[in-house]
This record gives sequence, C-alpha cells and structure tokens, in this order.
Amino acid sequence: MRKLLEFHMEDILPAREEVLRQQGMPPGKTVSGHIQSVLEEALDEFTNEARPTGILQGLMVDEFEAIFTGEGQNDPEAPLEEIYQQAEGLALFALTIGGKISTNIEELFAGKNFALGAMLDAVASLAADKAVVRTEEQYEKELANRNHHGTELRVLGYSPGYCGWHISAQRKLFKALEPERIGITLNASYLMTPLKSVSGVLVAGPREIHLFKPSFSFCKVCKTYSCHERLQDLKATAT
Amino acid sequence: MEVLAKISEALQRGDEKTVSTLTKQALDSQVPPREILDNGLVAGMDVVGRQFAEHAIFLPEVLMAARAMYAGLDLVKPLMEGEDIPSAGKIVLGTVQGDLHDIGKNLVGIMLRGAGMEVVDLGKDVPAERFVETAASEDADLIGMSALLTTTAPVMQEVIDLLRERNLQGKIRTIIGGAPVTDRFAEKIGADAYAFDAARAVEVVKQMVSGDQ
Repeated sequence: MRKLLEFHMEDILPAREEVLRQQGMPPGKTVSGHIQSVLEEALDEFTNEARPTGILQGLMVDEFEAIFTGEGQNDPEAPLEEIYQQAEGLALFALTIGGKISTNIEELFAGKNFALGAMLDAVASLAADKAVVRTEEQYEKELANRNHHGTELRVLGYSPGYCGWHISAQRKLFKALEPERIGITLNASYLMTPLKSVSGVLVAGPREIHLFKPSFSFCKVCKTYSCHERLQDLKATAT
Repeated sequence: MEVLAKISEALQRGDEKTVSTLTKQALDSQVPPREILDNGLVAGMDVVGRQFAEHAIFLPEVLMAARAMYAGLDLVKPLMEGEDIPSAGKIVLGTVQGDLHDIGKNLVGIMLRGAGMEVVDLGKDVPAERFVETAASEDADLIGMSALLTTTAPVMQEVIDLLRERNLQGKIRTIIGGAPVTDRFAEKIGADAYAFDAARAVEVVKQMVSGDQ
C-alpha cells in the first residue's frame, strides 16, 4: 500500500486558543487587539500559503527493522523497539505543510516582524501535528475496514529524533519512502526541507502496545512531555 | 529626560510607530544616540524582559516590543558607528547540528540584543566546529547553544570538548538551553550555565559577562 495524502485546510487549521497557548499564553487570558490582529494575519497567511500533502506506505514488521536500526545510533532502550514488534500494521509516512510557509517565517524574522513570524510558526507547527493525527485516523480507519478479527486497533505515529529513536534513522526511512516525490528532502544532518515537515512510522496495534512508562534514561532530561499527553489520552480512551 | 521615558513606554506597548517618531524627535533635539539607546530602548526592553520573567506578559507581547525596539535601534545605530563604545558583551548563538527548532533561540537573541549585547546568530543545524571557530574569530565572550531533541543535545558536549582541546574553555564560556536540557545535564557536560527560558538566559548572560557568575 502506497498512497498520497491530501489534507483539507479545515481539518488541520488550529484553533485560535491553541495557537496562543503554543506561545505560552495561559488559557482564558485576555488578548490585546494588537495580538488578535497578528493572530488573524497569521491564520490568513497560513490558509493562503499552506500546501499540505503527504505520503504513506505500508510495510512489514521485518522490513521496518532495518529502518528502525538506522545507523545504529538508537538509545539501547528505545520504547519503539518493543512497540513496533507487536504491531499489527505499520506504515511509513512523511508530510509537509509546504515550502512557502517556511520561507515566509524566515523572511518575517529577517524583516524583524518577530510577532507575526512566531505566530505563523506556531500555526504551522500545530497544523503539521494535526496533519499527523489526521493521517493516524485515516490509517486506523483503513485497517478497521480490513480487520476481520474485530480487535480494536489504535494507531500512533513515532518519529526519528524522539524517545530514543535516533534521528539518523531518517536516512533509511527516506530511502524506503522516497518523500522527495512530494518535495520533502533530507540534508546531511538528517533534517527535512521544507522545515514544517514530519516523518516517521505509524504503528497500529491494540492500545496496550503503545503504553510505556516514561522512565527511560533520556526521559530524565526531556521536557517535551508530548508522550505524557499521548499516554494519558490512550488511558482515557480505554474501554 | 521625558522623551526617553516615552520611548521606553511606547516600546513596552509594542508601539513601533511611536518609538520611531519619538526617536527621530529625540535625535532632532540633539539627544545623544547612546543615551537614546541606553535610557530609552534598552531601558524599555529591560522592563519587558522582567515582565516576561514574571509571567506578567507573554511571548507575542515581547516580540512586538522587540520589533518596536528595532524601529528605534535602526535609527540610532548608524549614528553610533565608529564610536569606541564598549559592548555589553558578545555571544555566538545557534541551534546545534541536527536540530532545526530555533524559535526559542531567536527569542534569546532578540532579548540579548535588547539588553545591549552583540549577538552573532549562526542559525540552526550548526556544527560544533562552527560554534567554536566563530566564537574565536569574533572574540566572543560566550557561546549559547539550543536544542529541542534529546538526540541532538549531545552536540553541546562536542562544542565544550572542542573548546577544551583548543584551550579556549574559560575564555569563551558556554550557556545551554532547550527542552531536553537541564541544569544537571549542563553540569554533566561541563557547560558554564543553563537557562530554562529566554528571560532567564538574559539574566544569566548579563551576570556572566559582568563577572558575577
């Protein structure tokens, strides 16, 4: 299975409150007219300039092993290693919000329009995250249609660079997925262009396989906490 | 001087047009550019930095104030060229190799400039060698490194090792920040300082260059 992904703007455009929270503003805080107008401008620019697209490709667990291992630099205890081996479905993905937004953000900072640059950056980052969630949902739905066992599968995305999966794994991931076809390229430091792009693997399996205790050696120094939110969400949706 | 207080207040409101107008007025009234910088623009940005540290204002407000600061700075800086004025310190700043998250680093740069520091921003995905070479050639006081990924934070160690190899440790000091970084990690890799956010980074850098830390 290999397919191109399309996203509708209304499915990925973040809510105003989310954008403000992303920039450290507490929920419910009164926003000045000046900030409100910057926020509206950022949302407008995003709507006009974003070209969200993606690519998804299914693969077998043993095919993924080499991609996961990458260049042999993973943390010895990366949780994904145990998770993917229990998967009932795996798919590589890469998606991007498009190059124009990233260029615009850089130009805004260079032109000292910091507030709009940061606001647009927040909108684009949240939109990229939402595009990943939409991709997870789509894959989950496809598997549910094919699943004859009746087991409820939960799909979550994992990306190189996080939770002990070394970013150098991007090299093999790109070789297998070829996201260059949709305009996403990789540089020598394993970073993607356009900047607002996400790649990784979607892991489908019973909810339990995704659960892990965030007490790995790298968790001690990590303050990202996105895994905590995902784990909480998984626990909350337990049937 | 009343006009300088007004510049500071307009800057704090993020009112770039008023900052620009008042700065022109001050220059027309023969107020020395250095005084406008120190007692109008930097003074205003100092208040903004403190309010941000106290969570009285938030990132968008700081960034609007920063833009207003540049509206004045762009007018006074050209008039100060050639003046032999000691800088408040020089820092080479960048997001480490393998990492592209630079909003936090940008904010630190903006606020440090607002505090009167010279900032050489190397951008993102910066190799260890480039940090050290630039800091040495620019005769910088500090290297500031940022990372968001747990897997890229070790590049910070490479920078510190390189400084040690070249006998530059101590002469060029280091400050680190970013989501996967803590004070314990800073201590472990031999960084001179750690800051958990941009406001704290400015405070710590000021202390470091003044010799208080």
